[in-house]
This record gives sequence, C-alpha cells and structure tokens, in this order.
Amino acid sequence: MLSRSKTGAFAVIAGLALLATGCAGGGGGQTSGGGPGGSIAIRGCEPENPLIPGDTGETCGGKVVDSLFTGLVEYNPDTAKPENAVAESIETEDNKKFTVKLKQGWKFHDGTEVKAHNFVDAWNYTANSANALAQGFWFEQFAGFEDVYTEDPDGEEGPKKAPKPAKDKLSGLEVVDDHTFTIELTAPFPVLPSKLGYTVFSPLPDSFFKDPEAFGKKPVGNGPFKFNSWTNHAKIVVDRNDQYGGAKKAKVKTIEFRMYKDDNSAYSDLISDNLDFTEQIPTSALTGDKWKSDLGERAIEGEQGVLQAISFPMYDERFQNKDLRHAISLAIDRKTITEKIFSGGRTPATGWVSPVVEGYKPGACGKWCNFNAAEANALMDKAIAAGWKSGDELPMYYNGDADHKPWTDALCAGLNQVLQGKVKCTPKPFPTFAEFRTEVDDRKMDGIFRSGWQMDFPHIENFLTPLYKTGAPSNDGEWSNKAFDAKVEEADQEQDPAASIAAYQEAEAMMAEEMPAVPCWYYGLQAGYSTKVTNVKVTPFGELDVYSIDTK
Amino acid sequence: MGRYTVRRLLQLIPVVLGTTFIIHFLVWQLPGDPFAGRCGDRPCAPAFVAMMTEKYQLDEPWIFQYLTFLKNLLVGDFGESFNGVPVAQILADTWPVTIRLALVGIAFEIIIGIGAGVLTGMRRGGFLDNLSLVTTLFFLAIPVFVIGFTLQYLLGVQFPIIRPTVTPEARWDELIVPGFVLASLQMAIVVRLARSTIVENLRSDYVRTATAKGLPRMRVVGVHLLRNSLIPVVTFLGTDLGNLMGGAVVTEGIFNINGVGGQLFRAIHLHDSTIIVPMVTVLVLVYLSVNLLVDLLYAVLDPRIRYD
Repeated sequence: MLSRSKTGAFAVIAGLALLATGCAGGGGGQTSGGGPGGSIAIRGCEPENPLIPGDTGETCGGKVVDSLFTGLVEYNPDTAKPENAVAESIETEDNKKFTVKLKQGWKFHDGTEVKAHNFVDAWNYTANSANALAQGFWFEQFAGFEDVYTEDPDGEEGPKKAPKPAKDKLSGLEVVDDHTFTIELTAPFPVLPSKLGYTVFSPLPDSFFKDPEAFGKKPVGNGPFKFNSWTNHAKIVVDRNDQYGGAKKAKVKTIEFRMYKDDNSAYSDLISDNLDFTEQIPTSALTGDKWKSDLGERAIEGEQGVLQAISFPMYDERFQNKDLRHAISLAIDRKTITEKIFSGGRTPATGWVSPVVEGYKPGACGKWCNFNAAEANALMDKAIAAGWKSGDELPMYYNGDADHKPWTDALCAGLNQVLQGKVKCTPKPFPTFAEFRTEVDDRKMDGIFRSGWQMDFPHIENFLTPLYKTGAPSNDGEWSNKAFDAKVEEADQEQDPAASIAAYQEAEAMMAEEMPAVPCWYYGLQAGYSTKVTNVKVTPFGELDVYSIDTK
Repeated sequence: MGRYTVRRLLQLIPVVLGTTFIIHFLVWQLPGDPFAGRCGDRPCAPAFVAMMTEKYQLDEPWIFQYLTFLKNLLVGDFGESFNGVPVAQILADTWPVTIRLALVGIAFEIIIGIGAGVLTGMRRGGFLDNLSLVTTLFFLAIPVFVIGFTLQYLLGVQFPIIRPTVTPEARWDELIVPGFVLASLQMAIVVRLARSTIVENLRSDYVRTATAKGLPRMRVVGVHLLRNSLIPVVTFLGTDLGNLMGGAVVTEGIFNINGVGGQLFRAIHLHDSTIIVPMVTVLVLVYLSVNLLVDLLYAVLDPRIRYD
C-alpha cells in the first residue's frame, strides 16, 4: 500500500514536470548587434482586436497595423504633414468630389497588385455596419454612408437590434479604372487628404474578403513590413518587405513588438540593451531626470498630439454657468503641476489644439488659461451669486488604472486652496478605464472629469469637430453652441485650405469665452533607445519611425 | 487507499461545479461595460457592440451563459477571447510557463527552506540559527516587489548576469531569479516552520528511543525525526503551490513573464469573461489536485495515517 501511493505521487509530479517542459524551446528573442540591417525589439502591447485596419482604433494594434499597411498618404515623421504614398495624386475642384490616382507597381505581401478596387472594397467593407468592424464611423462624410451604416434605434440597452443596412456599398466610391477611383462626400471637406493617412483607410487584398477572420490573425498588407508571427500576450514579429513599393525603404530586417506588463521592466531591459526602443519611460525614471543620466544622448524628448483636458457635464445644470467654468480654469496652476508632477514632461496648454498639428495657433485660450487666483475668486463669487452653493461638492472623476492620480490630487488640492473652499473638489477614481467610460457614455457624471484626446490625424479639425460639435461622437460633456457649430461647418466648406484653417481657428477662439472644457497640458514625448540602434526618430504621433531606425 | 482516492476525485466534481458557478456569477457582477474602454476615448460603434454581444451571447442571462460554458467545457471547447484568440491557445501558452515558474519556486522552498530549517533546528542558538533568523525576518518584512525590482536592477542592469526580463519562451534558467523572488516570502516561512517542528520533535519520546536503541545519527534524523516533522511543512507547501501559480501577478509583472496570474489580471481588467472563467476553472482543478496529492503524501510520511 505504502509503495503504491509513493509511486502514484511521483508519477503525478513527473507528469507535471513533463507538461512543463513539453512546450519549452523555440528560438530566442535576442536582438542582434552585428552591423546594419539587423533585427530589433521594440515595446509593444497586446492588440485588443484582430489585426484588421478597420477594426483597430487603439495604439497597441495600431502600431503593428501601421507597419503592415501603407495607405494613400503617409505622415512626414518630422512635421506630420501628409505626403502621397500609394496615391499618385488626390485632386479635387470643389472639396467634395476627389479623384484619386494610384501609383503603379505597389504590391501586397502575397504578390497581388494594389489596385483601385482594393481601396474601394476595403472601405465599403469597413463602413458596412453588417460587417461590424469597430471603426466604420470614419466614413460618415462619404456619400451613401447612411445606407450602409445603421444605428440601433433604441440604444444598446433596448430590445431592438439595428436594422440591416439597405445597401452594402458606399455610393460615394467609384472605381474608374485599375488605378483611379473617385470619392464623393456629402459636404465639402478640404481636410480629407490629411485624414486619409489614418490606419482605417488602408487597402485590403482580395484574400481578405474570402476569410476575414483568418486574415485578422495573419494579416497581409502592402506596408514596409510583412507579418511573421503573433504569440499572444508575448510578441508580434514582422519582417521587412523587400518588394515594398514606396520610395522610403525600411532598414532593419525584423521588428519584434515585445509586450510588457510593466513600464519599469521594459525600462530595465532598455538600459541593459535587451530592448531597443520604448516610448514609455516610467515615472520612477522621469523623476529627477534619472532617465537622462541613464540614457545620455539616447534619450529623446519631443511633443506629441495629445491634450489632457477637464470636461464639464453640461447636462448637469450646475455647470451651465460659464463663470464657474472660467473660475476653475483660472484657478489651475498649470505651470507648477507640469513642473512638479510631470518633471517638465508636459507643457501647459494655451488652447484646445496640440502644437504639433496643422492649424495650431498659440494662445487660443487667452487669459483664461493663465493662473490668476484673484480673478478666479471674483468669478467664483459671481457664480455663487448665480446659484452655486458655496462649499458645494465638486467630484473630479478619472480612471485609476493609469498614471492620473498624482495630477488629479494636485489639481483638486489646488482648486480647494485657491478658491478658498468655495468648491470642495474631491478626486474620485474609477478602478478601470472601462468603468469610467461606461459612466461617461451613460452621461452619469455629476462633477468634472478628465478627458484626454490623442489625435487621429494631424489637423486642427481633429481637435475640434469630434469633441465639441453638437452631438459629435466624443462630445462627452454635451456642450452645444450654435455659433461654434456654424463656424466649424463654414470651415468644412471652405475651398481654400488656408482660409479653412483660419475659420477653424476662429471657432477655437470662440471656445475661450465659453470654456466647454478646460485645457490642461500638452503631452510631451519621452522615449529612449538602446546602444545597438541608430538613426532613431519619433513621429508626432508618439510612435517610432520604422523606416529610419537601423542597427549598428 | 484506492477507494479513498476515487472518493476524493468524485468530490472534485461538485467543488468544480460550485466554484465555476460562483466565478461566473461574480464575473457578471463586475461593473462597467466590456466594450466601453475598447475603442479609446470614444464609444465603440453600435454595430460592433451588437456583433460582439451576439457572438459572445452577452445579452443572455448569466445562468444561460454558465450552462453553455459547461456544455462546451464537456466537449473540450474553451471558446474564444474578445480579440479572437482561442482560449485553449491562451491556456496552452501560459500554463507551462506558470508551472515551470511555480516548480522553480517550490524547489527553492524545499531545498533552501527545509534545508535551512533542519540545520538551524538541529543547532538551536548557534550562529547559523541567528543568521537565518535575521535573514528570514528580512524576507518576511520586505514586500515581494521590492525584492523583485532590487534583484532585477542589481543582477540585470548593474552587474549584467541575467536578462532583466524573461523571454516569451521562458526557459528554466531564465526562471531561476524570478522563481526565487516569487518564493522568497514562503521560503522564509518554511524555514521557520521546519525549524520549530524539528526543535519540538527533537525532544520527543520516539527520537529519544531511537537514539537509545543505538541507531546511527543519520538514521535518527533522516528517517524518524524528519519524516514526522515534515507533515506541517508539506501541508504548507501543498497549499502554497496553488498560490504560486495563481498569485504570481507581481513577480510576473516585474520580470514580464507571460503566465496565468498576469493573464488573469489583464482579463479582469478588460472584463474579458471569456478568459477569466476557463482560467480560474483550471486553477481550481490544479489547486484541488495538489491538495489531494498532499493528503496522499501524509500516508507516505506518517505510517500512522491510513486511508480506507
């Protein structure tokens, strides 16, 4: 009996050990350092959706998809200006109907040629709500959008389902010949070429339509890199595409997007040369500029198109008083917070538009974004006279799963101190971004809340229309202003790009008087690279420029 | 013995059913919408939400979900996670890594923990005893992540002996330092536990009898003393193996190991119930099997314990 139980026990242990070793092995993920054109490992994270351009709206999947696909235009890695890539030309006479001519000789990774129908079919597929891709709304300005994209009539909670779209193709897209197609919009929109560089507007090969699900696991693009493998939650590897059709060719042979759970461990790998690039320097290394002494000239500082703001729930009548909104903006000491909390990693905002985009105008917010305790108090007293209860609770909501606690605490403490207790600001974190967004989307905010915005494409329009136009998808505060809407529409219709930008700038200036959201600061960019790579550039999108980087 | 094992195995069934039931229920109580944070700072397209809701049957009541889950489980189908990856694949990726890590940790606990416990227990009050007292106090008092980051920095960056993080393949040699960090706290507990039982049993009658019979010292310690003293230690190690597997979130984060703990944490964060439930189910199974193993080991260690 004794001996039998013994062998049984050992058999189980041996079994465990076998199971454990069974799946070991496989090649190492080492980075090479032997001459140019080698392999690199950069920081990545697990994509939240399959690797399909029309399904990818977050940065984790975005950076992989961007390396695999090249659209009609690409953004200049230094200036973020759109430049033609697959497009030979994008011409228009009225900003409403665009004729796109494609360059000859671009090929997908499976060898088929990139033709006009690859764009048109891909866009039709993405826009068609029956296919249920997450990013279909990008085509809302295209003619015929309402025929292919249907909304749930009674909201998500309601019992009814969205009806089947009437058509499966956008009427605004038409293939002229193999290398020409036309885009028709419902209203003039001069910014369109700039928008077309976004991931969603990538072409898809014919193989996609046969099996979209398999494609999402093993995408075939036309970009500078080809898909090699995806080990879930560990790494994604892409190889250089030697048949790439673009003028700029990538230099490195392979890129491994290595997924990290923790900024600190990625940083440790970076400074010990086990990781070649990260754009997420942990707070612990930013403090006291430690990262600069660790990395020396391999530390990269720059700006990126991200703005942190605080929104007011206009559906709560307490916040409809603009004196209150101005008082809060005036009472925020942006300079001290950016210096003390972010060690200079952010710059105080002077408007609602990031400095890296086309159409940025410094000082749009005017005096309202400069710290002024006396005027803040004066306006606060006016707001109290108009109905704000002195000492009333002012919750400040944010998501606690990212690094927002330090600045929220500082900002709230500052408000309480500067406004001498006329508001009682208390930071209120939600455990996760998902819970926070649920409450915001359900319009359940009864206090101010943080709202960050990362640009989709580098144009002033992207910082105004989606956020502040009446009924816009990301207008979380439900601010609505007729004059502003009219100005934005005027800018949309303007034929001349310069005049259009000027109109957008006027619209932005209108916001200063209304303060629908308080701009806080622009995100700086801190990145670092290993001693094994050279020629490292970071785009205004905060991503590595995959073309220029090379191994030493 | 055989009947006992069978009875215990049969008991697994209601326990697994019960735990998965509770987990399912709890997952459905998580606040927030799984698709609220999935598309960045804007709501997901309604068509996308509708498709996902239908694909994962999220509009069905949770009890229905539970029954479907059980039905699929019986045919070995774990389903797909929200980003389209088969959950079986995720389990196959993470479990071997976690098991390796836990075994390395347990090895440290057994070798260093029991070794140091026996040595210090035999020579109570000596230099080694005092040294181990201070060292174990140190490990008990310092949080795991401090030990983790310090070792990572010292051995990985300052004096580059190891890679600061583990590669996706997670080879055995790469897991030595993470395994040590993971087991550091429990190792200290094992030292303390082993030491005190050894000290206690040293004075017991059977040890005195064995010595009086003139048995060699090695045999007295190795067979009589150790075997009896190990029972509480084995109990601890058994329950701890489960902890090492499911509770390695911190260590896995520091050394970037793609294991069960981190995966579970991420899934809870993203509200991905498709991953949470199968993963916890496997964890429960492992936990129960290890406990059964520990109970069977008692009989090996102590002849007085008989099952039947």
